Amino acid sequence: MVIQFIADHNLEALLERLRRYGELHAPVLSDDGVLRFAALTQGETSDLSALRTLLPPKKYLLHPQETILNYSADTGYQLPVEVAPPLILLGLHPCDLAGINYLDRIFLGDEPDPIYAARRAALTLIGVSCIPDKFCSCQQMISPLKALSDLFLNSLDDGFAVTSASLRGDELLEGIKDILEEREGEMPEDSRRFFGHVVSEQLRHELDLTLPEWQELADRCLGCGACSICCPTCYCFDVLEFSGLDGRSAVRVRQWDNCLFKSHAQVASGMSFRKDRAERFRYRYRHKYRGFGALQGVPSCVGCGRCRVVCPTGIDLRPLTERLEEVRHG
Amino acid sequence: MVSALPVQAAITAISPLTADTSLLILHTEPDHPVASSFLPGQFLEFSLPGVGEIPVSYCGYPSVNGSIELCIRHVGHVTTPLKIALPGDSVGLRGPFGRGFPLPSFAGQDLLLIAGGLGMAPLRSLLLALLQQRDFSGRLILVYGARETGALLFLDELLEFKKQGKIELHLGVDRPDFCLAGPPDCQIALLPTLLDRLDIDPGRTCAAICGPPVVYPQLVSSLRLMGMADARIHLSLERRMKCGVGRCGHCAVGTLLCCVDGPVFSNAELAGIEEALA
Repeated sequence: MVIQFIADHNLEALLERLRRYGELHAPVLSDDGVLRFAALTQGETSDLSALRTLLPPKKYLLHPQETILNYSADTGYQLPVEVAPPLILLGLHPCDLAGINYLDRIFLGDEPDPIYAARRAALTLIGVSCIPDKFCSCQQMISPLKALSDLFLNSLDDGFAVTSASLRGDELLEGIKDILEEREGEMPEDSRRFFGHVVSEQLRHELDLTLPEWQELADRCLGCGACSICCPTCYCFDVLEFSGLDGRSAVRVRQWDNCLFKSHAQVASGMSFRKDRAERFRYRYRHKYRGFGALQGVPSCVGCGRCRVVCPTGIDLRPLTERLEEVRHG
Repeated sequence: MVSALPVQAAITAISPLTADTSLLILHTEPDHPVASSFLPGQFLEFSLPGVGEIPVSYCGYPSVNGSIELCIRHVGHVTTPLKIALPGDSVGLRGPFGRGFPLPSFAGQDLLLIAGGLGMAPLRSLLLALLQQRDFSGRLILVYGARETGALLFLDELLEFKKQGKIELHLGVDRPDFCLAGPPDCQIALLPTLLDRLDIDPGRTCAAICGPPVVYPQLVSSLRLMGMADARIHLSLERRMKCGVGRCGHCAVGTLLCCVDGPVFSNAELAGIEEALA
């Protein structure tokens, strides 16, 4: 087949072209040794083979803390005007793309969240293929989530095969066509193949609470919530309101919340439906592998492995998942 | 977007029902869905500017003139400052949210309403709706328990309904009041005990329950002992619904979301779900 190929030595030119379409962000190794999505300044290069950033790209769509309403005594509550300049995200691996697909299902749809929708519309996604390492689990479970991007770079020996999957991708492809070569060759498999499967609806039993693993894992869990902060599909938020000093204005903010915190399941009078850590642990498991509400039956774990990398006590849910979830690669 | 932006409402009256609980009457745009099209058991999100937002059940019935009744206990970070609110003060409302009581399935049945404390608020909404429903011909039994006589809500109204023969009323308090004489026939007994003294036909009775979470397991087992099927037991669950639209993640009950799939669930739907009732 004919492949649209971009050679390694043309990558810098590619970055330059992409900047014409918006601010370019990609995985950048910071001075303190943390790989993170950040603005890629002129002359800077990104290590596209690096496997995982500390925080997933959700930080671009849901800020750790953001204003969702402004209040003034004269006008009442008003939605903030979200100005989202075009942003090009380069270097997204299939798991992160699937993570964005999951967030889209939560925050877009019938009644889109206005802030999320504005930012999402301004986002161009450029995926890159990867080879799973020992922390990854995309290869463990079939996922119905789609690893969708505008452009996708599939790694070859001396460059990348470039494919478009959207109108915006076509536009970008047109804009870089002078640095592309047409090559005859085979497209290598990439880890997108683990996503976008039809998962048959099956009645799944509620989790067996008597499994000793729950308590064993909960005993090791420090409740720090790091696994949830760095999860591409954890979106729980708390809502707070702050009054202005003039007594006539206020802002309402939402901020990332964490189901491993005690406060998460508290109700009026301070009562909690998830008093002990094992219960909170199962809540997290349910969300990651069973899905809530309209997305019941859609696992939200995309297998990026971040939770396993950051967990201070090395908690790994894979053995448990393998036993409890039947949907698996053959 | 309708559900993200609170509509402005004004407090038209705030009148004490008991020492710590008030009936709040609000007024918003006529025909706004938050006032005009909700079902008993559904809830709205109530905003006190500069303070915050809380989910509150409706306690009245839908109106076309934009008026809404809410029953507020002044104990939380939003409801305590509401104590000093005045008529004319401005608040924000979003809603209605969630799934209320399945009114159509109650047609032709006897209804057993079981309210504990502030749980009377949403059940008052259901009671008013049932009384308005012309085709409702079955027994209408209300079992209502509160801490003490002085904490019984809507007492005059309930006694009036009883006097008119519209409802069978069974009142109970946890402990006697030192200075308040109890209403006629009010027993000193907890809810499950009140329930045990009832004579119902479990095959043609539906139960609707709202109260503090701690009483649910025992109420459910009492009803089951009486022979009532799980599908006939409807419970309004207590969770802190922060967004109302299934996004903030705070109200999950197993893999169900209280704000979208509930807050009213049948006990059959809750079968086998951890942490659903306690």
